Amino acid sequence: MLNSIDPKSAVPIYLQIIGQIRRQVAAGVLAPGDQLPSVRELAAQLIINPNTAARVYRDLERDGLLETRRGQGTYISPTAAALAESERKSLVSERMAEAVGEARSLGLSDDAILKLFRDALARRQG
Amino acid sequence: MSADAITTESHLGDYAVVTHTLTRRFGRKLALDSVSARVSVGSIYGLMGPNGAGKTTFIRCLLNLINPTSGSGTVLGHDMVRDSVAARRKIGHVAALQPLWEWMTVRELANFMAGCYPRWNQDAVKAVLSPVGIDPNDKIQELSRGQRTLAALAVAIGHQPELLLLDEALTGLDPISRREVLRNVIDVMHAENRTVLITGQDIADMERICDHVGFLIKGRLFWESTLDDLKARVKRIRIEHPGGPQPQVPANALRVERAARETEFTVTDFTRDLVESLAAPGRRVEMLDLSLEDIFVDLAQPQLAAAGPAPDAPVKVPA
Repeated sequence: MLNSIDPKSAVPIYLQIIGQIRRQVAAGVLAPGDQLPSVRELAAQLIINPNTAARVYRDLERDGLLETRRGQGTYISPTAAALAESERKSLVSERMAEAVGEARSLGLSDDAILKLFRDALARRQG
Repeated sequence: MSADAITTESHLGDYAVVTHTLTRRFGRKLALDSVSARVSVGSIYGLMGPNGAGKTTFIRCLLNLINPTSGSGTVLGHDMVRDSVAARRKIGHVAALQPLWEWMTVRELANFMAGCYPRWNQDAVKAVLSPVGIDPNDKIQELSRGQRTLAALAVAIGHQPELLLLDEALTGLDPISRREVLRNVIDVMHAENRTVLITGQDIADMERICDHVGFLIKGRLFWESTLDDLKARVKRIRIEHPGGPQPQVPANALRVERAARETEFTVTDFTRDLVESLAAPGRRVEMLDLSLEDIFVDLAQPQLAAAGPAPDAPVKVPA
């Protein structure tokens, strides 16, 4: 279910896994009520430090994406469906922020940036 | 020194290993140079460094296989030298190409080891051997290199050690055996208060499973922190300055690279304020995350370049 991680990446491992789970929730691959592996299973499956696996779940639980049922395991929370919509937007807005940052640093005007976005949208519509 | 030792003793609950200015000489070579290390209980601590940095000497001191020339240390609350027998009972140790009794079968080896300890968990031993298809009736000498390491690991965790020392245990293993060793290490960690100290060369493996790292070069421990802290503090800064003058680089910057319109360097004390202090009109300042490998190389370079006090004459290490 989870993609493998890239330990050589500069992105910390826990953030890589959090990113993958968020994307899967946003895309509906993971739905409310779906059970996730235990911390131990996750650590053994991905071969990562158990503390890193625990941190992934702690952070996602704090953000309301996961819930831990005592003695039963970790599940995608019922509120995740509502979050999925905002997840989709926030994932795209992060990418857009990067693109805008890049465009600004290359000295493009706001009008030029907007035009590029419209062109990109138009190309995809065909 | 003795006052120091007493202070440490009262905090032993937090650390599986504490050393104070641990030093070991082999003839004229300083193999360990005043190493003060702290390995937190419950952590997987990666001790990294090039060949000959002193990693194995450090492990052998912890096991009291060799005596320190000076300095002291405690292992699981026991004095490294005076109470080494008590400490050894709670330690599991796997070394690269570890000598095993070649003529024994895996079962005989496990039974022999079981006899050395008051408690023994045969299920834990089986849990390592069965998934990789090692038959208890196999003779040690018939095992592949990866299987040998797994057999050594299996008998090293049978007495459920509180501290597992893996000294270059992954070096030279095929990818499948390496993964299997790592998977078992993660499994060992599942019990409360287990600690793993691992030395090795494969930085990607270290990055996967370690939460604490120590960097050792020429016998000196020149960095020790959590992996997260290391990655938060060591960053690459890139400044693009197409129109303006060359920017000032902090005095302690590492691997400074200057081009006509671009400057890059590594800092070890990164803060957001640093990026702001470098900002100027016509400049673009960017912070880049570094992988553990890049971090290690950048931090190690000045250590390698520094003139060491010990001559590099090869000295035979007593076996």
